[in-house]
Amino acid sequence: MSKAGGGEVVAGLVGAGLGAVVEAVKAYGPDRILLADDPRLRGFSAQAYSKVAAKMLEGLADPKAVLAPATAMGRELLPRLAAEVGGTVAPDATELSPREGGGLVVSRPIFGGRASVQVDLPALPCVSLRPNAFAAEPRPGSSPKVENVAIPELPAPALALKVEKTVVSRGDTPELTEAPIIISGGRGLKGPENFVLIENLAKVLGAGVGASRAVVDAGWRPASEQVGQTGKVVSPNLYVACGISGAIQHLVGMSSSRCIVAINKDPAAPIFKIANYGVVGDALTILPALTSTIAKSRGVPVP
Amino acid sequence: MDVIVCVKHVPDAETRLRAASNGKWIDPDGVKFTVNNTYDEAAAEEALRLKEKCGAKSVRVVTVGPPRAEEALRYVLSMGADEATHIETPADALLDPLTVARLLAGVIKTLPHDIVMVGKQAADDEAGVVGSALGALLGLPSYAFVTELAPDAATKTLKMHRYVEGGEEHFQGPFPAVISLLKGAADPRTPTLPNILKARKKPLTKVSLADAQTRAQALPGAPASGAVRSFALPPPKTGAKMIEYQTPDEAAEKLVKLLREEAKVL
Repeated sequence: MSKAGGGEVVAGLVGAGLGAVVEAVKAYGPDRILLADDPRLRGFSAQAYSKVAAKMLEGLADPKAVLAPATAMGRELLPRLAAEVGGTVAPDATELSPREGGGLVVSRPIFGGRASVQVDLPALPCVSLRPNAFAAEPRPGSSPKVENVAIPELPAPALALKVEKTVVSRGDTPELTEAPIIISGGRGLKGPENFVLIENLAKVLGAGVGASRAVVDAGWRPASEQVGQTGKVVSPNLYVACGISGAIQHLVGMSSSRCIVAINKDPAAPIFKIANYGVVGDALTILPALTSTIAKSRGVPVP
Repeated sequence: MDVIVCVKHVPDAETRLRAASNGKWIDPDGVKFTVNNTYDEAAAEEALRLKEKCGAKSVRVVTVGPPRAEEALRYVLSMGADEATHIETPADALLDPLTVARLLAGVIKTLPHDIVMVGKQAADDEAGVVGSALGALLGLPSYAFVTELAPDAATKTLKMHRYVEGGEEHFQGPFPAVISLLKGAADPRTPTLPNILKARKKPLTKVSLADAQTRAQALPGAPASGAVRSFALPPPKTGAKMIEYQTPDEAAEKLVKLLREEAKVL
């Protein structure tokens, strides 16, 4: 976007101990990096981070837009920043285009992906971007200048947030909301012991593992894998629903996936109505066949 | 301790969506609106638990919405909230979430509040903007994606868990604060008939849009808002392309070929 408009891309980094992050961001070739690296910013405090980001914006001549990933942090930070600086906000964008007269026009899914809106953002748009909706291109050989930004005076509560510990729930599978492919299982797997079939297919595809509410409620799978209204909302390129009938509360969590495959014994299961491809059959026999077909074609061992 | 919970009256998750004739939002005609089964209902439950477990003085439920939104307030009153405030907008008003946050903040500022609770996002526009914007406008810390919380009234500190990519953080922060709840510790309670009857008599204050706008003028920052340009429903799904097969291996081969060559996702 900046290339088209002839502007600069400025990366703003806020936090503590950001050395490795600075290096990672450099590889994507921003024109400048503004860095607020301060031990007082160790835990993510939306109040503190938004004030630091506002200060970074103050130092720019004519900022056109603020972009962040639609992660938990990005989605929490941007509304706060927009309210602080008199900007506008749209979360979870899937498309961006310049708006006549300034600002951006942003498309975003609503109603659990059952509809979408285009939103006009006239004043400084603060937009979080849906994972997988935009591609990041590395620009090797770039060497942006890193400029330190001193943190402004902050109200005491902003710096009083203390992180006691971080509990990592993911093993070697990618984070569900960011995974480009998700293999998800439901009651049709018949028991927790059969989820190894889901995990095997996920392994050969480098995919995330999801689950329906029913199997999470039954204790077969951890809550961190639940896809749906009370779990995670995901939009991978490929979502494979195995033994999931397709209750509405599950559909709102995954129906905006680019391509949906349903494997279910019941040809009348509602999941087939929203799927792109359907296999009527037992997930317990289809899954191993799928895993070995893909493993062989990729030349990796069949798990 | 005074707790305020903000809710939004939204279309039921199973409602069939149709576009309104102005092409900007859904046609509300024939749509069932509710707070049941939403993040807001979970926030209301958590607010009530704060009252019961931690001796909060009162729980007030606040909404911004058209006349029908009173139903959402009565529902939360019947769950056990003590008082309600309704910032009443015209039936066809389509408000930007930042505007909603300003209207709420202007009114909440004049009410006692130690904890302001909101759901992670509304079930219709799914913006998730109001919580942290409220924090900025009220000059309070905001904590989002919270899954557990326990306040310590003596130190005015909240011990919380929150969702982060790849796991969960256990952290603490001071209150007064605004909390956006991802999910509550317990399933929301179902109002009992006696409580539904009691809720009809609980105090419900109406604030006109003009009045709320006046109160919002005293807030910091310049008001700015986005506006919906167009609303679209995806083309109706024609149903899945079904794979015909004799053996599981044949099903797998056909499916992989389609995913590679037609859908181009493998």
